[in-house]
Amino acid sequence: MFRVFQNVFNYRVLALIRKEFRQIRRDRLLAIWLIVPPALQLLLFGFALSATVTDLRLGIVDDSRTRESRELISDLTESRSFLASGYYASVDDLSAALSRGDLAAGVVIPYDLTRNLERGRQTTVQFLLNAMNANTAAIAQSFAQGVMQSYNAGLAGQGIHASFQQIAAPDVARRGLVQLNPAYLYNPGLVNSWFIVTGMFGLLLILNGSLVTSGSMVKERERGTIEQLLMSPASTSEIIIAKIMPLFVLLCFVAVLAVGMLKFAFGVPFRGGLLLVLGGAALCILCGISIGTVIATFSKSAQQAQLASFFVNPPLASLSGAVTPIEAMPKVLQALTIFNPIHHFVAIARASLLKGSGIGALWPNFLALGAFTAVLVTVSVWRFRRQLS
Amino acid sequence: MRRIIAQARKELTQIVRDYRTLTLALLLPLLLLLLLGAAIALTVTDLPIVVQDLDDSPASRALIDAFRASITFHVVTLPTNWQPQDTFTSNTARAALIIPVHFERDVVRGFNTTVQLLIDGSDSNTAQLVSGDASQIVNDYNQRNAGSTRPAAVQAAMRLWYNPNRSSKKFYGPGVFVLALSMFPPLLASLAMAKEGEQMTIMQVYVSSISAHEFLLGKIFAFMIVAFAESLIMMIFLFTYFGLSLAGDPTPFLVATVLYAFCVAAFGTMIGAAIPNQAAAMQAVALGGFLLVFMLSGLIYPVDNIPPGLRWVSSIIWGRYYIEIMRDALLQGGGWPATWFKVLIIAVIGAIFYGLAWRSMRRMQVRA
Repeated sequence: MFRVFQNVFNYRVLALIRKEFRQIRRDRLLAIWLIVPPALQLLLFGFALSATVTDLRLGIVDDSRTRESRELISDLTESRSFLASGYYASVDDLSAALSRGDLAAGVVIPYDLTRNLERGRQTTVQFLLNAMNANTAAIAQSFAQGVMQSYNAGLAGQGIHASFQQIAAPDVARRGLVQLNPAYLYNPGLVNSWFIVTGMFGLLLILNGSLVTSGSMVKERERGTIEQLLMSPASTSEIIIAKIMPLFVLLCFVAVLAVGMLKFAFGVPFRGGLLLVLGGAALCILCGISIGTVIATFSKSAQQAQLASFFVNPPLASLSGAVTPIEAMPKVLQALTIFNPIHHFVAIARASLLKGSGIGALWPNFLALGAFTAVLVTVSVWRFRRQLS
Repeated sequence: MRRIIAQARKELTQIVRDYRTLTLALLLPLLLLLLLGAAIALTVTDLPIVVQDLDDSPASRALIDAFRASITFHVVTLPTNWQPQDTFTSNTARAALIIPVHFERDVVRGFNTTVQLLIDGSDSNTAQLVSGDASQIVNDYNQRNAGSTRPAAVQAAMRLWYNPNRSSKKFYGPGVFVLALSMFPPLLASLAMAKEGEQMTIMQVYVSSISAHEFLLGKIFAFMIVAFAESLIMMIFLFTYFGLSLAGDPTPFLVATVLYAFCVAAFGTMIGAAIPNQAAAMQAVALGGFLLVFMLSGLIYPVDNIPPGLRWVSSIIWGRYYIEIMRDALLQGGGWPATWFKVLIIAVIGAIFYGLAWRSMRRMQVRA
């Protein structure tokens, strides 16, 4: 093992690595580009992005204007989900406000609510939801239904239900109700930022890694200094190792910084092994660097390299499950995500940090990530060598 | 005016001549629209849920069948001696339904019975959807089995407006359309402008009789035409593949499209004029055009959810207003009363970009 290590990191490689480090130390801008934007983006997106549905603006048409209807309205608006935004005289006014986008939801209480309650007749209250955003609509719908359920249960407690049972069938054959008792594991407060920051973590490592690598690789070629490296006795793989090394170290620093922010800025619980996450991050960084190298070898100028990243990055980012759940994608695209290194790292980070999964559960992801790294590094060495000869 | 048109023609000739860039410029937005339009969604379907049936009776199996019938869940039965949490840590399931022993006995006797639903909360939005859907399924089960003797006093009738089957595609399609329009025209514009600075062909512009305004407007018009071509192609797909149609008065949308094309073309030109280096200009467009519009415009996550301290960032993101106008035109149909303000803001931001482009153009002239 030590022999292999000594062979890989022989004096030539060490000298080259020293040269690369020196270059980076002089090129402060690169180091800053590598560290500051990912850190800022993680903070900004972690705090800004959230899918939580709260304070939906609710418009109210109360044709009943009784104690019962007011009680229903206060039941609806005292939760954090709905916010009473305005009372409207007619349904037409309410629908106009909905179509202007002033409201997210509306409730229409019929004039005969109290009378029906007293007579033991069923009443229908209408909810109008702006369902443009499918996700918000689905959650708002279940909120509203939950409120109605508890309102009904409250009525039953007040004895109003007694009259209902009189008109219904006798109670003998009544079957018991099934009550669902949901418990949220791992994130009982449903903090949305935990999902976002663990996803952004992987996304930023790969995207920034590939971008900076392709940039610095192309620069060497554009300036023609690559020929000087070739004249040296070092082999192409040694040159590549030396080139990758300082970027790898810098990005590892970024990863540690990001882990610190996850812990202290966002309060992500660290339930699993930290080494697992950092190991995944290291593989992920190598992947990102190799993607950048491959892009660089295919492009003749910095401009082309950037265009290629424009081509590669959006699908890489959107098909990773980093910002949207994979289960929400169509089946065909879900299958494609197994070819995405970001997906595997995000799975590792989320499972290990939030759920405390161990290597026993995560080895497939590690295997995939390792395989990608191996393949991409090989391809980049091969491309690099071919391009030079 | 003549000089503006001449400048625009020259620019378009340059674009058309580079047919590789042209095909990329027209095809990439379309690819992006089809890929992201399908991939971005928050509402899950076919989510694996494990069921641990400790009772194994007709009643419990009927409850499981109710879950199986839903499109949200994909039921996997779990042997009773397994811990459901293990399926969470290995990412094979997102929720677990545990039906207790004596479930049927209690239900038939008329007692209320509790079933436990464990939900993996690591994705909190999905967890909320799961809990909402599961409780609706259980409600429905109760209605069918115990409901005939227990009518709810007040019933809620849900009316879903504007997107009745809660299709994610219809919501995200217009958003991705805007994203593509915010990425590619400014990218090309910034490259063209930075190239002038890099190759010093800008000198020829300085010595010619064309004024800075005419030069900039000519460039911007050329890239507006590119933007129109892209939006036309994408619009065809929005109306066919995404199944969208105009919901109301289309004039605010048409006016906004013209203004937005101006806004993004001016943005690209401004970047190109301020950063006369193609690679760096591209990076700036990637940040402004892609990352900011992708993340902070309300494309995926609602702007309302951004904490107030950070919300100002998203109120200067030009894509946000156009996304809202697009959604209004294609889904909501609010027309001018709902959108006039947003159209105005796009115009103002476009004018600011133009002004900045003009300023850095003048500064370049002084330096040269």
